Amino acid sequence: MGIVIAVISGKGGVGKTTTTANIGLGIAQNGKKCVVVDFDIGQRNLDMLLGLENRVVYDMVHVMDEGVSLKQALIKSKMDSNLSFLAASQTKDKSVLDSDKIYKLIEDLKAEFDFVILDAPAGIESGYEHTIEFADRALVVVNPEVSSIRDSDRAIGILDSKSKKVKDGQEVDKFLIINRIDPKMVQSGEMLNSEDILEILSIPLIGKIPEDKGIIDASNQGKPIILDANSKAGQAYKRVASRICGEKVDFVDVESESAGFMQKIKGMFL
Amino acid sequence: MKTKQYSVKIFEIELEDDDSFISFFDKNYLFFQNNLIVIKGQQRDSIKKYLDEKNLKYIFNLEIPVQKKQMKSLELEPKKEQEVVKKVEKPKTNLKVIDKLVRSGQEIKIDGDLLLLNRVNSGGSIIINGTLIVTQIVDGSIRCNGDFMMLQASSKANIVFHDVEVDNKFLQDKLNRVELIDDEIVITPALKEKNWV
Repeated sequence: MGIVIAVISGKGGVGKTTTTANIGLGIAQNGKKCVVVDFDIGQRNLDMLLGLENRVVYDMVHVMDEGVSLKQALIKSKMDSNLSFLAASQTKDKSVLDSDKIYKLIEDLKAEFDFVILDAPAGIESGYEHTIEFADRALVVVNPEVSSIRDSDRAIGILDSKSKKVKDGQEVDKFLIINRIDPKMVQSGEMLNSEDILEILSIPLIGKIPEDKGIIDASNQGKPIILDANSKAGQAYKRVASRICGEKVDFVDVESESAGFMQKIKGMFL
Repeated sequence: MKTKQYSVKIFEIELEDDDSFISFFDKNYLFFQNNLIVIKGQQRDSIKKYLDEKNLKYIFNLEIPVQKKQMKSLELEPKKEQEVVKKVEKPKTNLKVIDKLVRSGQEIKIDGDLLLLNRVNSGGSIIINGTLIVTQIVDGSIRCNGDFMMLQASSKANIVFHDVEVDNKFLQDKLNRVELIDDEIVITPALKEKNWV
């Protein structure tokens, strides 16, 4: 039976979809069978980040409502054969979602994959509630800024009251990803530092991802940054994916390490 | 010869029927553990057995040697005790202890007293009619109408005590006690913080 992981944030634009794409691919590279599901009904993006937009024929709603088989709708990634993708509907909206159908869909996916990763929509409305309903774990993506943290705090609160696991008396394990860390701004004190964020949200950290300009290009090209071995963000995503697969990977200090050697020397003279 | 003199608290009660006697003591026996209970009325084994079980000291039909002036107040004493009992009981039954993070969007609404052993995050709120103690920092909003509240708040917090907004500046460093004295809000920092931790 696979593990269902919801990627949530509350606020939009913090990098949920980018994180989902990269971590999904990272898990697949670790040799685990993984499927990423776009739950952002009506606004799908994940297909583009994975470079699969031209291959979507059937989406999630077709599977749930129109009797299309899961096999037909699942798209295998060219980048790694362990990774599959299930698209969100672009024409319907979130009102088509229904708990029983989602439950069946997720059970079917769990039977086939080791990891089922759900990309939650921004906000905390019904689309979000349906995403977290059957999750075993949650990856909480935040940016080091107050509004992102407050929104994810709210999202965690809803997760802790509305998911099925919680209603059954268990707990959903939550892990924090701090995304888009700008080392310079952290050092100058303009950005919240990780300790403060961890104290506020009080959930365990699973990774820190530095800001990386390469991500925009990677998204446009449909090649997740994790494929770029030189990218700091890509390396960070790789570490997170390994941690999710159960490996012990040491944390790397992305807050101070970023300034390259030359920049450091420059900094000494400036 | 060895003598000792004690001044003892005596609780006098008139025995009417067993049921009301026992139900009264079931509720309140904790308060009479250090008292000598003097029972007026028929000496009954059921009562003796009950009091022995509760480990209370008692005596039947004792003439209490008190001066006449004081007798009056003594006659009133059972009533007074009951009042005291009520007062002591109130916070005891109403105090709630919560050790959960109050996250954004969550609201704790309580009529009695609250001891919160965790943070109140930005966007979280507590509305309370009793006394409030929060042992960790408050970033969210607090509405308190109790006798006093004790907390440490950051600059983001919004604290209202008896419908008056409290300036965060005064609440930032340490645990502070906020109370209403003669229609004025008085804030005293709790100096011996260690006692609370």
